[in-house]
Amino acid sequence: MTREEANRLLHAYIDGELDPAKTLELEAHLAENPSVRAACERLREMSAAIRDKADYHTAPAWLEARVRAAIPAGRKDASARPTRWRWLKPAGSFAVAAGWMRPAASFAAVALVTWVVALGVMRPGEDERITQEVLASHVRATLANRYYDVASSDQHTVKPWLSARLAFSPPVADLSASGFELAGGRLDYIGAQPVAVLVYKRRAHLIDVFVWPVEAQKSEQTSTRDGFNIEHFAKNGMDYWLVSDLSRSELNDLAQLIAEYSAP
Amino acid sequence: MLAADSVLLYHTDPVPLHKPVSEPKRRFEQLVLPHFDAAYNLARWLTRNDHDAQDVVQESVLRAFRFFDGLRGEARPWLLSIVRNTFLTWVQVNRPADTVEFDDALVEIIPTDEDGPEIQAARNFDRKMLNEAIAALPLQFREALILRELEDLSYKDIARIVDVPIGTVMSRLARARRLLAESLGATSNISGTQVHK
Repeated sequence: MTREEANRLLHAYIDGELDPAKTLELEAHLAENPSVRAACERLREMSAAIRDKADYHTAPAWLEARVRAAIPAGRKDASARPTRWRWLKPAGSFAVAAGWMRPAASFAAVALVTWVVALGVMRPGEDERITQEVLASHVRATLANRYYDVASSDQHTVKPWLSARLAFSPPVADLSASGFELAGGRLDYIGAQPVAVLVYKRRAHLIDVFVWPVEAQKSEQTSTRDGFNIEHFAKNGMDYWLVSDLSRSELNDLAQLIAEYSAP
Repeated sequence: MLAADSVLLYHTDPVPLHKPVSEPKRRFEQLVLPHFDAAYNLARWLTRNDHDAQDVVQESVLRAFRFFDGLRGEARPWLLSIVRNTFLTWVQVNRPADTVEFDDALVEIIPTDEDGPEIQAARNFDRKMLNEAIAALPLQFREALILRELEDLSYKDIARIVDVPIGTVMSRLARARRLLAESLGATSNISGTQVHK
């Protein structure tokens, strides 16, 4: 085991998260290397100091009483909408299965199964919900005059900025040659996950392009809401939602360009 | 079209009720509310002040009750993940400026774990310095550290709450401890003087 690897594994080791084989290897390394052993000891001390000295904030009693009182006694509030929270996100296979089953839905039995599966396991109206969320984000940005967290027309500035703050790296295309100027990027929170928003400009119109990784290939979709056009497609493992007051055909052009850029 | 089906499903009330009305609330109180302090502690460390923590916890617990059917497994990590999600939504609406925190230069200059300075002995640091240093950590490192050291959660639970792979949990914890050591080391080197912003 190299010194680098030993140092890297020390954290998992002191947290009791190292598997037995690696533990043995690391302990052998520790026995031979006093300096790594010392580092391990200091790490343990730091962990112990945090547990000992960092504040554990307990809630004021009145707060719990207030929240307790605010929980509805009846079931009405809870059942008014289907459960959207899932502790474990549904595996991609559910969504795939449902998508595959849809064409066969003319068979009543299959339709029923699809319906039950969709109700019980799949995202109830997830596309609808995301449509509302991306639209809300776009409108909010417009109202608050806060379009981007990083303002730059340089893809090599925007992409690393976003990548450093997200668990994925969104493709950022320079489309100025096609008349879509990159204006910047921001972070948002859509469908219970942090997402990247690329902001493009065309004449006086701003276009928000929401990007996040997706497992299953979803259907493409175009819609119009409250005067905004929305385009949705998935390409190469990423889900894209475009929102703008730009005309539908121009928004579709941009979607095409981004899809071409994102092709594997 | 998918959207049309979805809208239909969305408006369909799926579950008939068989249980007495007070049953879910009672179960919720038994399973989830014992973790009220854990929820508050996390919210307090995320928001870094009492008043905002109270708002976030109240909203989180009410959301948890609405999503109670979705509870699988242990209640505490489940509740904490709702607290975290509620916080993220809340911060966007109420403290949009706080997203600036991600611009913190600390994120960019983190040394690799191999060649960073050695972690200082931590027993010499007083409570106040330590708390301030933790509060100053960038969000993703702060939350990993709190969940690990104060909630004593496994990497697996932290990974689910923060929604990142287990390997990322490990590297965030390593970075959190490294940053903390650096900031405490920097503070202690100025003999006896505490550094305030």
